[in-house]
Amino acid sequence: MNKQIEIMAPAGSYESLMAALQGRADSIYFGIEQLNMRAKAANNFTFDDLEKIAEICNSNNVRSYLTLNTIIYDHDLSLMKRIVDKAKAAGITAVIASDQAVINYASSISFEVHISTQTNVTNLETIKFFSHFADVMVLARELSLIQVKSITDGIKKENITGPSGNLVEIEIFAHGALCMAVSGKCYLSLHTNNSSANRGACVQNCRRTYEVKDEEGNELLIDNEYIMSPKDLCTIGFIDDIINAGVKVLKIEGRGRAPEYVKTVTECYREAADAYLDGTYSKEKIEGWNKKLATVYNRGFWDGYYLGQELGEWSEGHGSQATTRKKFLGQGVKYFPKINIAEFKIETHSLSVGDNVIITGPTTGVIEMVIKELRVDDKSVEKVEKGINFSTPIDQIIRPSDKLYKVVEAE
Amino acid sequence: MIRITHQREKCIGCNYCVEIAYDRWRMSKKDGKCTLIEGKNKKGFFTAVVGDDEYIANVNAAKACPVKIIKVEKVK
Repeated sequence: MNKQIEIMAPAGSYESLMAALQGRADSIYFGIEQLNMRAKAANNFTFDDLEKIAEICNSNNVRSYLTLNTIIYDHDLSLMKRIVDKAKAAGITAVIASDQAVINYASSISFEVHISTQTNVTNLETIKFFSHFADVMVLARELSLIQVKSITDGIKKENITGPSGNLVEIEIFAHGALCMAVSGKCYLSLHTNNSSANRGACVQNCRRTYEVKDEEGNELLIDNEYIMSPKDLCTIGFIDDIINAGVKVLKIEGRGRAPEYVKTVTECYREAADAYLDGTYSKEKIEGWNKKLATVYNRGFWDGYYLGQELGEWSEGHGSQATTRKKFLGQGVKYFPKINIAEFKIETHSLSVGDNVIITGPTTGVIEMVIKELRVDDKSVEKVEKGINFSTPIDQIIRPSDKLYKVVEAE
Repeated sequence: MIRITHQREKCIGCNYCVEIAYDRWRMSKKDGKCTLIEGKNKKGFFTAVVGDDEYIANVNAAKACPVKIIKVEKVK
């Protein structure tokens, strides 16, 4: 594992977890049950997944962090303690916390604590305060790199160490969704839907279009109706400045995003960090990564606040502006390991030789490939239609839990 | 009579229903999710048939539920 720069990937499902490993993440973060910021997500891990996640991560030499960073009420305390106890026993590396209840409890049982961005850490004194509990702290997303550097310099100068005795490490968000609220502390979703963003149940009001009218009904002219939806953060073009600012951990947002997103983004940032470290970070490479990053889900990119900013840049549309989309085709049927052939069934649409496909699955992770050969009933064909089983050579094992998608240009 | 249904698995433990319809809901200390008192479990959906006097409180609880997993209907 690269100790110098840690790339941390989101794992909202086993598919994404495997994708993060394939993208060469140094660490992954995930949530279980309801006390995490994606409590409302369709596929959330549960208690029963803790051991398996720890086992997968430990055997791949990847650190695993459990997010437990919602607001905590009294009635959550016993569940919170159960989760922390079980995570520690299962061999999870650390807990990412924002509420003092979690920070204090995890620290009291000597379980490694990381301070979540929700805590809004913006200065050196706050770092000193949390250094009694935590070795890694995620800074507020609103800081400029000059402010970040002043904090990391201060840590070295004043020798601020965490419980492990090592200097406190600074983590920042490197890529993914931003929201309009300061450190995610947003009241909109609670106000409109009784659904608190700070309990992981954000309904994403900020992603919709709005008109602004005064009390007399006069509409304020605004150039962009998505006045509250920031573009996605992308820092790959100035990762050198970030590393020079003393940041040790780069976090990729996206526990709600698809596995191929996780793989692509993790891979790009791993390559970029490595390129910086071995002196090959270049304009051409940045262009290549930017192109690749644009192929997966995004709301358009901007630099966040790191470079000191004109005000926020707002998204130009609802949902993704990715240059490609995936279309579901069907599922894996069988794999013949001796001859490296996989059988799939096409349930919808069609597939031709030369098509780009993505295969995702809870054990498989993500496979991206070009179809070179299609066989139906042992005969080579150019195209396979809906309802047909076909086989194709693949050197990785395909399982019935795997889903097959065709990658198409976005319209 | 009214029938209250709770899809408990999706509960995020916000505690609204307990605060609004205290006689019918409790917070579980064990898993931090709300429990429908006297609810019978059928494939993850907990159901209780109770008197009309509880209608208003439980309709309000259903309205407040952020994940919309409480259903209240009148039955004969």
